[in-house]
Amino acid sequence: MSSLLLMRDIDEPGLADIAVYERRGGYKSLRKALAMTSDAVLAELDASGLRGRGGAGFPAGRKASFLPKGDMDKYLVCNADESEPGTFKDRELMQKSPHMLIEGIVIAAHAAGVNHAFIYIRGEYEEQAKILDLAIAQARANGYIGERILGSGVSLSLVLHRGAGAYICGEETGLLDSLEGKRGNPRLKPPFPAIEGLYGGPTLINNVETLATMPHIIEMGGAKYAKLGVSGSSGTKVVSVSGHVTRPGNYEIDLGIPSREIIYDLAGGPPAGRQVKLWFPGGSSAPVLTAEDLDVPYDFDSLAKAGSMLGSGAIIVVDDSTPVLDVALKLAKFYRHESCGKCTPCREGTNWTVRMLERIDGGEATPMDLDIMASVQDHIIGNCLCVLGDAMAMPIGSMIVKFRDEFEAHLQSRQLAGAI
Amino acid sequence: MPRPHQNLITFSVDGREVQAPENMMLADAAKLGDVEIPVFCYEPKLGHPVGACRMCLVEIEGIPKLQTACSTAVKDGMVVHTQSERARVAQQAVVEFLLINHPLDCPVCDKGGECPLQDITFGWGGGKSRFIEPKRHFRKPLELSPLIAIDRERCILCYRCVRYSQEVAEDYQLVLLERGENTFVGTFDGHPYVAPFSGNIIELCPVGALTSRPYRFRARPWDIEGSGSLCTLCPAQCNVTFTVRDDRVLRVLARDHHEVDDGWLCDKGRFAYQAVHVDERITAPMIRDGGELRTVSWERALAEATSGLRRAGAKTAALAGGGATNEEGLLLGRLLRDVLGSPHLDSRSGGAVSLADWRALSDPALAATVSDLEFANAVLVLDCEPVDDAPILELRIRKGVRRNGVALLLASARPSALDPSATETLRFAPGRGAELAWALAAALQDGAVDAPAAAAGASAEEVRKLARALREAGEEIVILYGEQLLDGDAGGLLALADALGIAEIEGAGLIGIPEAANGRGLREAGVLPNGGPGFSAPPLGDGLDAAAIAAKLGDGELSALYLLGVDPLRSFPDAGAWEQALEHATTVIAHAAFLTPGVREHATVIFPAESSAEKEGTVTHPDGRVQRLRPAIGHPGDVRAEWRTLSELARLLGGAAGPATAAGVSAELFASVGLYNGLELEELAGHGVRWPARAPAVARSGEAAAKPKLRRAAQAKGGRLLLGSYRSIWAGPEVEASPALRFLAPRQRVELSPRDAAKLGVLHGEEVLVSDDQGELRATVVLRDSTPSGTAFLERDLARDGANRLRGPLVEVRTAPSGNGDVETLLGEEELTHA
Amino acid sequence: MSPSNGGGAGFEYNQELGGRAIPRSRDGSRSPGWDDPVDLDKDPAAVPDPALIDVPPELRREFEEIIGRYPERHSAALPVLAAAQRHHGWCSPQAILQAASVMRVTPGYLTSVATFYDMFELAPSGRHQVYVCTNISCSLRGADELYAALEAAVDGDPDINVRHFECLGACDIAPMVSVDQVYYGPLQTSDAERLVADLRAEREPLPELALALRPNADAALEEDEAAK
Repeated sequence: MSSLLLMRDIDEPGLADIAVYERRGGYKSLRKALAMTSDAVLAELDASGLRGRGGAGFPAGRKASFLPKGDMDKYLVCNADESEPGTFKDRELMQKSPHMLIEGIVIAAHAAGVNHAFIYIRGEYEEQAKILDLAIAQARANGYIGERILGSGVSLSLVLHRGAGAYICGEETGLLDSLEGKRGNPRLKPPFPAIEGLYGGPTLINNVETLATMPHIIEMGGAKYAKLGVSGSSGTKVVSVSGHVTRPGNYEIDLGIPSREIIYDLAGGPPAGRQVKLWFPGGSSAPVLTAEDLDVPYDFDSLAKAGSMLGSGAIIVVDDSTPVLDVALKLAKFYRHESCGKCTPCREGTNWTVRMLERIDGGEATPMDLDIMASVQDHIIGNCLCVLGDAMAMPIGSMIVKFRDEFEAHLQSRQLAGAI
Repeated sequence: MPRPHQNLITFSVDGREVQAPENMMLADAAKLGDVEIPVFCYEPKLGHPVGACRMCLVEIEGIPKLQTACSTAVKDGMVVHTQSERARVAQQAVVEFLLINHPLDCPVCDKGGECPLQDITFGWGGGKSRFIEPKRHFRKPLELSPLIAIDRERCILCYRCVRYSQEVAEDYQLVLLERGENTFVGTFDGHPYVAPFSGNIIELCPVGALTSRPYRFRARPWDIEGSGSLCTLCPAQCNVTFTVRDDRVLRVLARDHHEVDDGWLCDKGRFAYQAVHVDERITAPMIRDGGELRTVSWERALAEATSGLRRAGAKTAALAGGGATNEEGLLLGRLLRDVLGSPHLDSRSGGAVSLADWRALSDPALAATVSDLEFANAVLVLDCEPVDDAPILELRIRKGVRRNGVALLLASARPSALDPSATETLRFAPGRGAELAWALAAALQDGAVDAPAAAAGASAEEVRKLARALREAGEEIVILYGEQLLDGDAGGLLALADALGIAEIEGAGLIGIPEAANGRGLREAGVLPNGGPGFSAPPLGDGLDAAAIAAKLGDGELSALYLLGVDPLRSFPDAGAWEQALEHATTVIAHAAFLTPGVREHATVIFPAESSAEKEGTVTHPDGRVQRLRPAIGHPGDVRAEWRTLSELARLLGGAAGPATAAGVSAELFASVGLYNGLELEELAGHGVRWPARAPAVARSGEAAAKPKLRRAAQAKGGRLLLGSYRSIWAGPEVEASPALRFLAPRQRVELSPRDAAKLGVLHGEEVLVSDDQGELRATVVLRDSTPSGTAFLERDLARDGANRLRGPLVEVRTAPSGNGDVETLLGEEELTHA
Repeated sequence: MSPSNGGGAGFEYNQELGGRAIPRSRDGSRSPGWDDPVDLDKDPAAVPDPALIDVPPELRREFEEIIGRYPERHSAALPVLAAAQRHHGWCSPQAILQAASVMRVTPGYLTSVATFYDMFELAPSGRHQVYVCTNISCSLRGADELYAALEAAVDGDPDINVRHFECLGACDIAPMVSVDQVYYGPLQTSDAERLVADLRAEREPLPELALALRPNADAALEEDEAAK
């Protein structure tokens, strides 16, 4: 079925302790990488075809290669602000295998020529932060981070930085502002972080899972890793499955297997007697798919072709017991709450959408309001400073298109109820 | 630091070929082709674009997504469409989004008629809104400060105002609170936004969310006219536009001049216009009759003045200051020297500087411009506090440090507001700037530093460190110094300039901040005891400087004093000496707008002074820019042009009848002051002319070999502290007289280090008496962690209890006996009323 | 400072709305302040002078240790605020002034930062923080009912602050709560009373539901395997 890389040892008792991790082969990849030039490490990452696991799916090797050479201060930031609804894979990886992440960070830092690294972990992950703090101290004590790591010429400082509750800090430039001690407002791009990021220096930002994959790529070689999965979506992926399934949890899969296998075979499908009504393939920001799309292969390109995206790799299943309006309203409120407020279409558009949905919910709307709501989503998409506005407008827009009948039936039934 | 080099490129916008500097932002570059792209958050003065409002979305060929014109740099061959279907839809969408929570209360909004949101809604909006949900409503307007009202319903969250507070003024008081649609503009825990430059946010606001409390509902845009002139409340001489309705000034706006103010104003400049129209302003001539001042006709006042001056003749002395123009300075010099035969006139309170040094200091080779502060490798702020002495320059220094990485080096007696931005700071003893300059010059030349450093009350090691920083910063060094440094000796400063090779380096130079708003102009017009117009040799030989004038009036060797815009009892050091001087003078003629103590108690004739909104003439900026004042309103009451009064007095006393028009006097000024030869009044319109940019550099000859004159700094001892003083930005009768600003008028406070306070047993906020053998004053204790131990700082130029009541150098601080800590009337004893 | 007695028009409030508090948005999020004017009797809030602010020594040490971790001191804002909140129970004006004084920033700067993030409490908030995830995956599994049950169980007790929270990243144990930063789940609506009772009795709440104690977060799968 699936190759297990990140989750291979995940339930090994005491894996968070460096001794256990080392016993299971941990930090061998780092030794191997340190014996290589940074260009060679970069080449392996490139050859692996690894695409970012945070949401955007950008090739990780290429991203690391964008940092300018030279001995200025360069930064690596591990994005551990896992906040996308439905996503909890990084939490489990950090909690159970923190050293795998640290090892990946040092490898990535070596590849990109970085000497200062930060892990930006969401504030709510207090337990995981404590585990990471201990692990970092152990790694430092064992010479895996610090000056001249394992006698090599590579030096790296690593600081764990805790957020304080803001979804937008998962956006990489919002994260940088937050790490600089500001409100987590996204920045205008360009300049891109690779050129001008943290403290104005070149900065590489990678998701936890992306970094945690790197030791495995180094261990097996980029070319071999690339053979896992399918073309364009190499490797394995930890998928968080939640919502209306009987076995919610994280499952590591080879990219490209049918989505149905994940939802039904691994996660057990919806409770008996209920049907999948809609599902988010990549976190709540992904346009929704329906039962008709269950056989779409679970990989970057196939999901894009189906009109959605792999996103953070979080499948949220909604069965036929829940009205689509409830889902739409829940999400719209979430995005309104999390909009940073910096740019107009997102700040006002999320608010307007919630207000319209509430009116629809209350039965005080007409089908024309559905058209206006669809048009408002169109006006948000592509016009915002960052992707948060789109992250609401795309799924809401897709719900209006795919479930228009249900919305209209709801309006009609409310109006009938009002008339009686 | 090299200034950005500009390459011209060609791009196309809405079908027009336009030439623009490469990398100019599209929103600006489109204007060069007469294409307007709407913006709200974009304002280049605030720094990098933020792309927040999304109003300026345009289509660029070859780029799939719409781009914000505010943040897109133009490139050669770029093809831009601002009016394509996609762009128009996006622009209309943004307007629709912005209006969702905007109240559309335009009929009762103060911004109506001059509101970018109105204009953009009309020009780029879709003309209708599909938002039918109830709008939000809040209490409005609310106070943001005594000067500014905030209407949060109207705010469109462009966040210009908070960016201004954080990235221009750097006071970081005005912030965004909360997040998303709940975001609002506010302050910490309900504290008011009070800061030296807060009023600029009113002009920045593109809607009616931030309005001027003094201006609210005073006029509609169609009731008013704008009249360009200058603010002459301080040496920064910012360019302003007076908003005038029915011959009254109702508002002051910035008139962006990159080489002067960069488009900003301080709150004093913005709000003190109120003092033009208050009842306590003197608007008619007065004479002292039986000990009481009373209003008289001009004929009577002129006759009184004429006879007084005629009696005193050569025993007359004169002081000029405030906003007195170059022309007035010239005429005052003629009245004294040519008509009365007296050489005794001064425009400074410090000790005289030799004429050779004045000439050396005004050498165009040593001159820096205001914008040099922004692009220098390093700026050395020497013995001045920009925010108090020439406020707007502080913003320029901050801009240079923030945007261009200028190294800021600070040497001052009192901790500076710029300390946190400085790469090096050095403290020395109050009043020992000249010695510090000598010490720095010595350190730069690896000479003996110990003696001058000790005389300056500074650590020799720190002096060497500062010198090292100066040497390592790069060649282009601008020294911004306070005129108090030139107390009798400019040698140290010149030696320092020589040691840095400033004369030879483009972009390096000196800017001296004079104590009077037009101090440089008055000096150049010949209001110096030892210099005639243009630093010519004075025709009657050297006269007495200000301190000597006080002494000679006091002992009767002089008998008349002519005060042009200055009250020495209030603003010059040693009030005790001036009290004596004024007491003994038989004739004291003052041009004054307010009855400040010296005028109120001692003037025998008062001529009502003009406000800067009424004045005609020229003034000279500290960087040598001759700027033109144009009257915005007529003279209120019986006020007459002051130059005319000076001219008239000269005629009545038998002198030559001067020119009959203000333009005629200006022409004479340009002819008589060598430095100004060739200037024409017409060319000064708009931006003025820097005379040093036209004049040839003067090769200086061997004067640099001057010997240091070192005065040893006193030291705190026996529980007594060294006295330092400063003049706050808020000092001045105009602040006290403006109803809106009065809350800022300083009352005496003594700054102490926590250590000294603990030793003296006094607490923050406590009332104390500060005294020396000369006098005693009341003050409130202010503890500052950064105040050097052993020093106490007091404020100068106050309505009462000013620091000039004490002579120092050591003062005693002790708890005040409880009791009369009453709030005093600031301007005088009279009840203050206002319009 | 005294209110200006001249100048602008008076500050009459909107007649119709009078002095009433006006709800800002229907979901009742927490921002106060929209309707608040400044207090003109206060001084402007510049960077607090260290001479005038007392910071408890242990808190100062903690602030300084945090500031020392970063190349630029501003980066310490979030952890410094978190430390101040731990010490004072919430981000009180005093807590913010102390933090600002050591960080050498204005209290406005820190307030602006604090109000952006959900985990900073800008009002006194009780000793126990209970975050109930009510985002999509949890709500599909009964989080809204759980939240209502908890609200009812707490019954206004000022010691226990129950807040609904956005996705806490633990949809595998939905519906779940974070109690004083420790994750528990999945909860039944009927667990609400016991959770509140445990907190009142200063016991560890629902120990068997602690996420950290689960060998595999996917309990259901485990049971499934055990059954095989």
